[in-house]
Amino acid sequence: MSLLRVLHAELLKLKRTLAFRVIFVLPLLVALLQFFALLRSKAFGADFKLWETLPSNMLAVWAVFMMPLLITLETALLNGIEHGDRQWKHLCALPVPRHAIYLAKFFVAQGLTAASTLVLCVLTALVGLAVMRLRPELAHSGSVPYGWLAKYAGLVWLASWLIIAIHTWVSIRWSGFAVALGVGIGGTFFALFAASASAGEYYPWLLPMNVFKGERFTTALLLGVGGGAVAALLGCLEFVRRDVA
Amino acid sequence: MPQYMIETRRLTRRFGARLAVDDLNLRAPEAGIYGFLGPNGAGKTTAIRMLLGLIRPDAGEVHLFGEPLAADRQTLLRRVGALVEAPSLYPHLTGRENLEVTRRMLGAPRALIDHALEIVQLSRDADRRVREYSLGMRQRLGLALALLNKPDLLILDEPTNGLDPAGIHEMRDLLRRLPAEFGVTVFLSSHLLSEVEQIASHIGIIHGGRLLFQGTLSELQEAHKAELTIGVNQPERATSCLTDAGWGVRVRPDGMLSVPAKTPEDAARINRLLVGQRLEVFHLAPSQVSLEDIFLTLTGGKADERRAA
Repeated sequence: MSLLRVLHAELLKLKRTLAFRVIFVLPLLVALLQFFALLRSKAFGADFKLWETLPSNMLAVWAVFMMPLLITLETALLNGIEHGDRQWKHLCALPVPRHAIYLAKFFVAQGLTAASTLVLCVLTALVGLAVMRLRPELAHSGSVPYGWLAKYAGLVWLASWLIIAIHTWVSIRWSGFAVALGVGIGGTFFALFAASASAGEYYPWLLPMNVFKGERFTTALLLGVGGGAVAALLGCLEFVRRDVA
Repeated sequence: MPQYMIETRRLTRRFGARLAVDDLNLRAPEAGIYGFLGPNGAGKTTAIRMLLGLIRPDAGEVHLFGEPLAADRQTLLRRVGALVEAPSLYPHLTGRENLEVTRRMLGAPRALIDHALEIVQLSRDADRRVREYSLGMRQRLGLALALLNKPDLLILDEPTNGLDPAGIHEMRDLLRRLPAEFGVTVFLSSHLLSEVEQIASHIGIIHGGRLLFQGTLSELQEAHKAELTIGVNQPERATSCLTDAGWGVRVRPDGMLSVPAKTPEDAARINRLLVGQRLEVFHLAPSQVSLEDIFLTLTGGKADERRAA
């Protein structure tokens, strides 16, 4: 019950915030990039399959770059509003269990990233349909693979729970954007090197991308969801015990 | 009914090597205003954070409404409203929306928002965004947040900090009304005696983490009551005469004598004694010691520093 009450309050805090707008902006950037790339493409080979190429390209960019960026921004913005006027002391002095305050932040970050991934799916379909109209040679590409899109978008989201848990803790633990941004950029940057290494199978920032790789699929899903849940609980435990300045 | 709304028992907290709160035994009775006084860095905020469970004590206990805070923090905090230092507000939301955030967290009825806004006289500006509020309005909204759940106990840490004189006056009037009109016990901290002495029924003075005095203002004055200043033609003879009679005598640089006599009867007795010894008494008066002097004496401050502040 307490958790639901805190979540209800969290929704109101999102009003007029950048955190709410970002869930539309980032998928739109990916969609525009793909849309213009397809529109300006000189010629398509006979074996070009729009509904195989477009969704996997969109989700790949999303999994490798945009999802970690989205998580970095969302968690920093969500928790930044609590650092501004040092709201933590007000929140923690209320008759609400501290774990509910922490977990609500984690769940809202999950919700916002899920919403943004859903927006990406809708935009993927719209981009494909628009390109089919504007490029006559692609007019007979078939129908939108809603099932595939929903499945892999969901898997990318599930595999990103560990990153969400890490960033939730970081952005609550340290005020200001610098630390959160540093962790986000560092995590994504090292993913470029870790991708080819065997350790890349376990690297949190590669897990969303690893769901597309058969041999790394299970680890990505287990570590993403299980590791995310464990990391969220550990962060919660630290928050509950910490002094509120 | 518990004897005290707030009671701390040997409350202690260290930060590294620094002892921020040392063996603190606070006792705030019901339905009054308790002024928790001390210079900056005395340990007031640390003590208040422990009262609210924001930080844990290294030793000792906090009891609210007669119950230990550690046993059931949430139930006890349902009856407490708090404003710790600057109010915690969301500037992108309106005043009403800020209250709504806290209302949702408390699961309280919606009608309480208007009630709280009325008390702090912010009803007219409730739908303006907080970023447009003046400092005084922000402080009043912070107080409305603390009052939202109709608390029995209000804990306020430096509620007038940063306010201009008009804002301080406004806040003081508001706080004065709370115990009488709403039955709320107010526990407020301040580093300014002048702010507290006009509204507090009880005070506690903290310095260096230790409680130096606790009681009513009149008890404080009584405990540090004025000495009797005596002007006499033969100070040395008068001193030995008074000492023989059991009085502690201090000879001041101006030749006058100071005797810790507290009542008019004492003054009459001393006068009779001196005149009986054929000494000529030309001055006999209680020297006035202001509350501020007492506060400064207790906290080791200097009048000049206080005036500068």
